[in-house]
Amino acid sequence: MHYLLDIPAMIATSYVLGFLFYGFYRQYNARIQRRWGPSIFQNLYDNLKFLFKSETLSHGPMFFFGPMIIVSGAVTTVLFIPFLKDSIWLQGFSQHGNLILIIYLFVLGPLGNALAVGSSGNPFGVMGVTRGLTRLMGLEVPFFLGLALVMLQYETVSVHAIMAAQSSIGEWTLVTNPIAFLVILLPFIASMNAAPFDVVGAPQEVYAGPRVEFGGRFLGVLMTQNMMLSVGKLVLLVDLFLGGATNLFILIAKAFALFLLITSISAVFPRLKTEQAVDFFWKVPLGLGVVGVVATVWLQ
Amino acid sequence: MTALVKLLFLAASLSPAATLLVWDGALAWPLFGDVTLLFDLAPLSAFFLLLVALGAPLAAIPMLRDDAEWPTYALYALLLVGMQVLLLAGDFIGLFVGWEIMTWSSYLLLLRSPRTTLATAQSYILLNLLSAFALLGGILVYYSLTGGFAIQAVADLGPWQGLALIGPLALAFLIKVGTVPLHLWVPCSYDEAPDTFSAVLSALLSKMGIYGLILLLTLLPGGLAGGLSGGLGGLYGHLLDGPAAGYVLGWIGVITSIVATFKAIAQEDMKRLLAYSSIAQVGYITTAIGVGSSLAIGGALFHALVHTLIKLLLFTTIAGIVLRTGLRSFKDLGRLIYRMPISFFGVLIGIIGLAGMPPLPGFASKYLIFVSLIDARWLLLLAAMILSSTAAFLYCYRLIYAPFLGHANSPQARTATEAPWQYLVPEVVLMGLLVALGLFPGLGVRLFVDPVLTALGLTPLGSPSWGELATPYGGYDGVVVMAVFGGAFVVVTSLFFLLRGRMRQAASPYDLSYAGEVPDETTPLHYGAGMGRELRRIPLVAWILGHSTQGLYAGLVRQTQAAAGLLAGLYSGRPQVWILLAVLVFAAALTVQLLAGGI
Repeated sequence: MHYLLDIPAMIATSYVLGFLFYGFYRQYNARIQRRWGPSIFQNLYDNLKFLFKSETLSHGPMFFFGPMIIVSGAVTTVLFIPFLKDSIWLQGFSQHGNLILIIYLFVLGPLGNALAVGSSGNPFGVMGVTRGLTRLMGLEVPFFLGLALVMLQYETVSVHAIMAAQSSIGEWTLVTNPIAFLVILLPFIASMNAAPFDVVGAPQEVYAGPRVEFGGRFLGVLMTQNMMLSVGKLVLLVDLFLGGATNLFILIAKAFALFLLITSISAVFPRLKTEQAVDFFWKVPLGLGVVGVVATVWLQ
Repeated sequence: MTALVKLLFLAASLSPAATLLVWDGALAWPLFGDVTLLFDLAPLSAFFLLLVALGAPLAAIPMLRDDAEWPTYALYALLLVGMQVLLLAGDFIGLFVGWEIMTWSSYLLLLRSPRTTLATAQSYILLNLLSAFALLGGILVYYSLTGGFAIQAVADLGPWQGLALIGPLALAFLIKVGTVPLHLWVPCSYDEAPDTFSAVLSALLSKMGIYGLILLLTLLPGGLAGGLSGGLGGLYGHLLDGPAAGYVLGWIGVITSIVATFKAIAQEDMKRLLAYSSIAQVGYITTAIGVGSSLAIGGALFHALVHTLIKLLLFTTIAGIVLRTGLRSFKDLGRLIYRMPISFFGVLIGIIGLAGMPPLPGFASKYLIFVSLIDARWLLLLAAMILSSTAAFLYCYRLIYAPFLGHANSPQARTATEAPWQYLVPEVVLMGLLVALGLFPGLGVRLFVDPVLTALGLTPLGSPSWGELATPYGGYDGVVVMAVFGGAFVVVTSLFFLLRGRMRQAASPYDLSYAGEVPDETTPLHYGAGMGRELRRIPLVAWILGHSTQGLYAGLVRQTQAAAGLLAGLYSGRPQVWILLAVLVFAAALTVQLLAGGI
């Protein structure tokens, strides 16, 4: 019974926060570029429009199952991330998972969708998938290294235990282990598919991206999962670095602060090519990570 | 007659299973002098015998399809005998005999393939002979240290004696597992071996090297049970929270997997890709053995089990594709998903396991290895492992996209039919085993891994329930992950159908958004051949792909020749120069001795 309420609540929270955040993102970007920009609900309208399109083109069974897998992957991921601290609500199945599992679940859906892209027979889609996997290969190394610093600091891979260990601002991982946060910040931007690492799905690159063949309801479904997964990633970072949240308002405030930081960084940098991005990840964030390992692990 | 031979062959392939089930008690056979051949089934060898017992019949069934292949059958039976002797041996003589039988029978089996070239055969037999000789050398060192051949921990061992023992034995086993740069024989032989036999090479033979590496650690004083004060840690000190010598082995494993993963991405041939992927996966196991903690050895054993299942599945499926199409290159295939659906699922399950995605068991084993690296505080090693583990997604995607998705690129791919039942039966069994192990990683640990850990003196991992994989750092529940994902999939798909609107099927495979153009069958639409080529623009990857092991050895030759040229320059042909040199060397030696106060 508890699960029956908790699961829809988590999915609804991530969806609503997702379209509000992305609506804000469009406004914010517009103001930086001195435009008016669309309403904050524009993303919701767009999403609903796609979901209720009257016609959808499919390229066979595998093509159909891809978007289903990616949404299931997003839902599963969100359900394994604890949203709140010291609460029985918005926990989902997070007691049965851990940080490493969540990191892998993040890529489960996109890999399933890659099968659909391949099945469509569009070479440009596959090119996009290859770009995405290449970028993933670049970003995961520093991202995981930064998270490993956190896991080592608390000697656990459980998100609950990491959250519980940060009871006051002075104990936030952001304060106690700032180097880990700096290491993961840029790869995290890439995993959120934000500029300057957004060559895989950027609007101007649609014709060489994984989404080239998806239209109508499929596109709506892909948009939905993207918003939910982004919120999931933000919440995970709040749990790990900002001490988690005891109620929904604190959670929104902290996640929004993080989102604002990321959008502000991505608003001012031009887009990198895939190989430039990978090379960058393996030089700057990874180099910082190595320094962090030497400073916090080897020299202690 | 043929049926009888096949029946006999099938019975022979079940012999490891029979040994595993009925063996009880030790067997001692006096050989000569005071040397006795010992045969016993310790938990560690029982685990690897289990792999053989699982793999042997599953790899044998596809071989039944070929007619009048009795030499192959006989050699395969001999190979199984060799592996059983090797695993049951309680002393080094039996181990060596088994090792040799295994090497020679697999070599002769490799020669049965019409595709095997002279260079492949040479590299296979020469490197494996080097491995055998190194093993022999190690055994002799062991005898001189202990005065016996029985496999047990050496009581007292200094660092240099340890090096003399570990060096040759590690060389022998690292050649067998195909560590870079000793892997020269692996890609070509896995590629050119008979298609049904490659599975055995990758799934079972490479595991014998893993068995040897773990066995090697148990020889050291204190063995694995000693923690940081015994075994490698006791001999050579420790680095952070792991043994320093294991750190070296860990890097050897990780560099192997990184190099092999990028080489795999660059391959054009399906079997060669799988060969490189085997090298990479076994590299993870090598790393875990280097860590040597309970978590790490548990992860190594679990990964050995999972890798055996996955490689049997993938090589058998690919053999089915090669059988039906006669083609093995990525650029020639495509769109087989509608023609060979069961094979598609075989490769799908296989690559999910290879990529280590939850909820299949590839994730469970990688999880254990990752946690063991965090536990040892070897984070740089962990980051390097993540690199190869994530880059593996690329070759996994290529392995499923190029043959099964996209567009059919040859007439054979357009008309292929599903693989015969002899291929499908093992595939389905293996898929079932992989899914079951993914659902119940806790059960897998309890049944297969924990008895070995207990016997090695390590803390068993334990599992609160069948589905839960538990570690001191936290765990996860395979049943819950699978159930949540499955439930979400069912709900999402039903909701999608409830939405208003209709689905339309594309009229033809060429009904694509193709940058405003209208493609037809002459347009090159299959991306299989070029995939991964753009990776070369990344400097590190370009560097790795731009160098080959052959190049490394050629460079060594050049350096040796240059050094020899320097020496040769001293021989000028005039005797007075030699005399001058001799006087100078003599004077220098005298001076050194004088300064050191020797005279």
